[in-house]
Amino acid sequence: MEFFELGKISLLIGFGLIVLGFWGILSQKNIIKIILSFTIMETGVNILIVSLGYVKGKTAPIIDSAVEQGANHSVLGQVVDPVPQALVLTAIVIGFGTTALLLAYAMKLFKAKRTLQINNFNDLKW
Amino acid sequence: MLRNLLISLLLLSFVYIFYNLYVGFTPKTELDGIAAHYADKGAAEIGAANLVTAVVVTYRGFDTLGEVTILFLTASIIGFFLKLTEADENKVIIHRGTSELLVTSSNLLVPIIILFGIYVFMNGHLTPGGGFQGGAIIASAVALAILANPNMHINHQIILWVESISGVVFVLIGVLGILLAGGFLDNRVLPQGQFGTLLSAGAIPIIYSFIGLKVGAEISNILEKYQKSQKES
Amino acid sequence: MVDPIYIIAAALGVGFAIGILGNIGRNFAGGLTLATIAFMSFVSAQWFAGFYFGNVSSSYIFTAGFQPPLSINLLMGAEEAFLTFIVNLLGLLGGIYLFVNFKRKGRNAFVIYLVLLMGFNVVIMTRDIFNLFVFLEITSIATAGLILIEKGNRAVGAGFKYLLATSIISSMLLIGIIFAYFYTGTLNIDMIIESNLRYMVGGPIIIFLILISAILELKPFPANGWGLDVYEGAHQGFSAIVSAGTATASLYMLYKLLPIASPEWSYYIALLGAVTFIGANLLGVKQRFARRVLAYSSVGQLGLLMLILGLRGFLGPNVNYVFFGILITNILAKTGFFWLVGIVKANEIKEWAIIRRKPFLLFLMGVFIFALVGFPPFPSFFSKWTFVMDLANHGLFGWISVIIIGSFLEAVYLMRWFGYAVKSEDDYKFDFKIQIHKITPIIILTALLFVIGYFTAQFTETGAMINFIPLLFVAVLYFADALPIWVKNTIAILGMGIYFYFTYPQLDNLRLIFEVIFIIGGILTLIAGYNYKGKRQGFYPVALLMFAGLAAIIEAQTTLEFFYGWELMTAGSYFLIIRGKKSMPHALSYMLFSLGGAYALLMAFSIANIGVVFPSLDILNNIANYPVWAYGLLLAGFLTKTASVGLHIWLPGAHGEAESDVSPMVSAILLKAGVFGVLLTLIGMGQSTYDLGTLAYILGWVGAITVFVGNLGAVFQEDAKRLLAYSSIGQLGYIVFAFAIMTHLGWLTGFTYTINHFMYKAVLFLTIGAVVLRVGTHNMYEMGGLIKRMPLAFIAVLIGIIALSGVPPLSGFTGKWLFYNAVIEKGWYFQGVLVFFSGGLAFLYLYRLIQTVFLGQLKDNLRNVKEISFWFLIPIYVLIIGLMVFAAMPQLVLQPLGTLIANYFPNNQLVWEGSYAYTAIGHWTGTGVMISIMVMFLGTLLLVKLSTRKAHKLKQFDIVFSGERPHRPETTHVAHNMYAGFYKAVWPFTLPAVETFWNWISDFIHETAGFVRRIYSGNGQAYMLHIVLFIIIMFFITIGGTI
Repeated sequence: MEFFELGKISLLIGFGLIVLGFWGILSQKNIIKIILSFTIMETGVNILIVSLGYVKGKTAPIIDSAVEQGANHSVLGQVVDPVPQALVLTAIVIGFGTTALLLAYAMKLFKAKRTLQINNFNDLKW
Repeated sequence: MLRNLLISLLLLSFVYIFYNLYVGFTPKTELDGIAAHYADKGAAEIGAANLVTAVVVTYRGFDTLGEVTILFLTASIIGFFLKLTEADENKVIIHRGTSELLVTSSNLLVPIIILFGIYVFMNGHLTPGGGFQGGAIIASAVALAILANPNMHINHQIILWVESISGVVFVLIGVLGILLAGGFLDNRVLPQGQFGTLLSAGAIPIIYSFIGLKVGAEISNILEKYQKSQKES
Repeated sequence: MVDPIYIIAAALGVGFAIGILGNIGRNFAGGLTLATIAFMSFVSAQWFAGFYFGNVSSSYIFTAGFQPPLSINLLMGAEEAFLTFIVNLLGLLGGIYLFVNFKRKGRNAFVIYLVLLMGFNVVIMTRDIFNLFVFLEITSIATAGLILIEKGNRAVGAGFKYLLATSIISSMLLIGIIFAYFYTGTLNIDMIIESNLRYMVGGPIIIFLILISAILELKPFPANGWGLDVYEGAHQGFSAIVSAGTATASLYMLYKLLPIASPEWSYYIALLGAVTFIGANLLGVKQRFARRVLAYSSVGQLGLLMLILGLRGFLGPNVNYVFFGILITNILAKTGFFWLVGIVKANEIKEWAIIRRKPFLLFLMGVFIFALVGFPPFPSFFSKWTFVMDLANHGLFGWISVIIIGSFLEAVYLMRWFGYAVKSEDDYKFDFKIQIHKITPIIILTALLFVIGYFTAQFTETGAMINFIPLLFVAVLYFADALPIWVKNTIAILGMGIYFYFTYPQLDNLRLIFEVIFIIGGILTLIAGYNYKGKRQGFYPVALLMFAGLAAIIEAQTTLEFFYGWELMTAGSYFLIIRGKKSMPHALSYMLFSLGGAYALLMAFSIANIGVVFPSLDILNNIANYPVWAYGLLLAGFLTKTASVGLHIWLPGAHGEAESDVSPMVSAILLKAGVFGVLLTLIGMGQSTYDLGTLAYILGWVGAITVFVGNLGAVFQEDAKRLLAYSSIGQLGYIVFAFAIMTHLGWLTGFTYTINHFMYKAVLFLTIGAVVLRVGTHNMYEMGGLIKRMPLAFIAVLIGIIALSGVPPLSGFTGKWLFYNAVIEKGWYFQGVLVFFSGGLAFLYLYRLIQTVFLGQLKDNLRNVKEISFWFLIPIYVLIIGLMVFAAMPQLVLQPLGTLIANYFPNNQLVWEGSYAYTAIGHWTGTGVMISIMVMFLGTLLLVKLSTRKAHKLKQFDIVFSGERPHRPETTHVAHNMYAGFYKAVWPFTLPAVETFWNWISDFIHETAGFVRRIYSGNGQAYMLHIVLFIIIMFFITIGGTI
């Protein structure tokens, strides 16, 4: 098994981004930076999803003249997995929704206290 | 200090977990499970050249409905979240002015981008892309327009109507699937048509077009809310 | 049947359409939303009804016209039907409750709410793991949105923390899902279960990621700060939906995903549930704010449900009964409670006194609290019972303790809250309004709690045996509360009379004695109630609740029925006691000791139940498994009710501060329930094949020490009612001691004391209570000389204390004579001496009682008091006649009792010859003693009267005070601090250490809670750190070592 295999590299990148995101989430104090860390983490997850659908040497799951077709347009053995690509679409949209909402919350928080330091928002506790 | 140490330990633990996942991972050489079925029979069953679209719109159409709902939810929440008072509505955004370059090029590009977006979602079943991508492209045109003219007025009613109607049509086509075909969101309520042409793959082009419209409208809606929330005295 | 997919289609179609239809108006949008939710409820209700009547079977819903795993499918089975029905119904009620709040926010709020409910439905029904993820996100996002219908920064902060937390959780879940797909090639949950994912390389990690996310959604302690904040910060109308809907959906999600994992995960989940249940309830003890209290309670209940889920393997066919019983109670009561908080709008639990302005709301609050604590007739009572019985059958006593400890802690803060609501000072300026659309949903929930409770009981064989008619009678009285007092009193007396008439022929002699004490005694004390004016709101339902419980204890054929009666009695007596003016802290400690006792009973019943098919009460005879534990726990449980030493500190306050006619009820009558229980235990122990002599021996010592401590305590009381209360402790000690002797004579003594104590304590408490009503104080030094104003009361007290002190001719002497015979025969000399010495103490306090209240000089302010009320005199003198008859002709009662006891102890009986009783040691005759003493008494009286005919009556001011007039003259009176010198000598024997010990326990719990809860720093980032830490720690606990 060669080390520089595309599937494995992208998997590593995905994991790396997730850990990086976690670092940001846990150590950054600025709310905007925390939200950005979330998007980094989400990106990492999305990369994971796509790389798990990768099949070595296969092409995109779109049936056109570039792909060798069997009977009834069967492309078995020719294309990569279409499912993760569909899932990643959903994951992206969900990430978009959450991020938009988080940003809206950040605006609301900023308006309330004129600060974006997460340490200043401890109203409910114990 | 202690906290940083704790965080580093946690991150190391994550690295450990992921490392274990990574070493157990061997890339696939052949498709298996449901993916193999999709690759083998997908085109025949659904009639879409783009297998991802077949999965998104039909096989996992229910997920897609959920996705659209999430966008819709986000837009709605931000709608009442960033709601302005009457007084605020009449204020304007104070900005440093936009560059001539941006204004001119946006005037040129916005219609083209919208057209491109429409192309992308209409051909979602044939070429890379689809409703979400097309919708996002359309919304990017709106974003560009807002950047060029931060105080531009966006017709909220149009967005609402597009959003609403395309959503309802999506659900209705889904219900038609129960009545006319195999189940909720079945695309075979329309004939499959000639493989690889625009009018093929049953209801997919219609569904995906409405998804595209809806996504475009939702994201524009969100953009509009954010734009308005920048108004200040 | 309507296809369940229409639930989703309708919700989304309408949701999307409201975007334009909403232009018509917000009312229209709201109405349309409610109509859609009603439709959704209808569809799931239809399915639920189908499953209930058994005419439908589980059915899959396929989307896109393909079979799974190619496409997403949903399942509508019995569980799904039930859960969606509950969620939708609550959604409908919640929609009504929140209608105005939503309307204020615009049509979008309605849409989001609709979509949220739809999300719950799909999370419950879907069988596709990625689809589960998508709709879980929908619910999260919608929740984060709806938190904002509450104004203010707190809601914004809470929503933000919630969003941060759920984002982390969902990322973990997504990583797990995508790897699960990679390894199994499917996203269908059933297929993943079949695929043996857990045996694949990396499989355990994937399963870990999926399950830990599902667990985190359930807000496990301590990674749940975000969840608590949502409950507290969001609008209460919406917190209810989060508590009910999200919890239900998340629980079912975990339930669906569990089969993917290896079986030991069940164990981890049970463990986490236990930690959460105890942890959350522990911290709840320290809370001051109503919303936060409910938040902790919600999280705690989730922990309990997780625990059940984890232990489901041990529950066999009962798993659904237990799980859904507790779930439904939690959902209904918690939702209702949250909504109530939304109406009352008092932040601190101390401010809840304002709820008394609307007594009906107080009733609702009581229902919710008692349902949450697990009292009958609510579903959780029956479910918890079954749960504990099943656990015991598998020997899982550790888990039973977890349930008991957590439930107890929860009871502590809920009951304290209720106490504040009932009793704390209401001098707050702010007020609240009841809006019809807010109160209606709460009323529906309350009604459902009762109805479902009834059906839960009918579900099991033993539950179906419970007689609910007395409870129904209580309900009738509750609804008749607006009637004048004499009507209600008459109804209550008639009801109890009829009950007695119909039930007494079926009882054996043992039970008949107690039935007479409970019911006839109850009727007599109720007669005194005619004295009261006005409506006396709330008195009759709770008094009758107590009597219903007592009746159920007598009637019980099974342990469940007994426990049911026991809990009803506890609830009723708690309400009675808390009616007293200064009763709040005493009622709480009464409740907590009672609950502790009840849990000990529950544990003991569960031990007795091991391997038993039908739990008739006979299983207490000769318990085969852990007999010492079982009987020890039974005794401990019953001794809390008899207020034996160490467990007695609740009694003086509770009885002393109660209302005048309540004191005799709870003292003369209620304490006998404990005696009945002790007796049942001893009967069981007597038939045991194990040697339980040590246990009886310990019990004897407990009784003896109780006599001493109780009597000694009574000596030093300034308060007449507290004096009698301490005296009760002592007298109950006699009874326990006598029964513990475990011989024929011992038991005869015990019964004699029981009957005696019932009569003279009722006489004394009724009389002193009536005197207190007249003079307006409990303090004896503020009375004095009342013999001139209240001769009849004086005679009653005189006879009462003669009977109590055991001086001939009254029945106290009967008891004493039997007692010494029994002690000598048994050879318990040390204990006997202690008890004998304590008898001397009784003289001290009895002398104080009659001297300081009735003799001496009449106080100025009491010159015009009248004789005690006629309505009190009736029961007092009826009881006095009873005392006299029992004293003069004890054979009437003791002979049949002897036959009864001979069933258990045939040796060394008391032999009767006419009115003469013989033992091995000596003989005695009640009739003879009575006649001779009467002759002596009347003769002396006549002599004295004749010889003092010309005596000069000494007026009060024949003597003069010299020197200064003291600030409080009565404190210079002999009655004040009467036995001060004696007290200095013996105070350590009044056992103040016991009180110190219990205070220390209470402080310890509070301090621990105060310390632990500091982890909830309120910082969103800290909460994320908790979550991540939780994930990592759980990782190393579960699979860390096996990789």
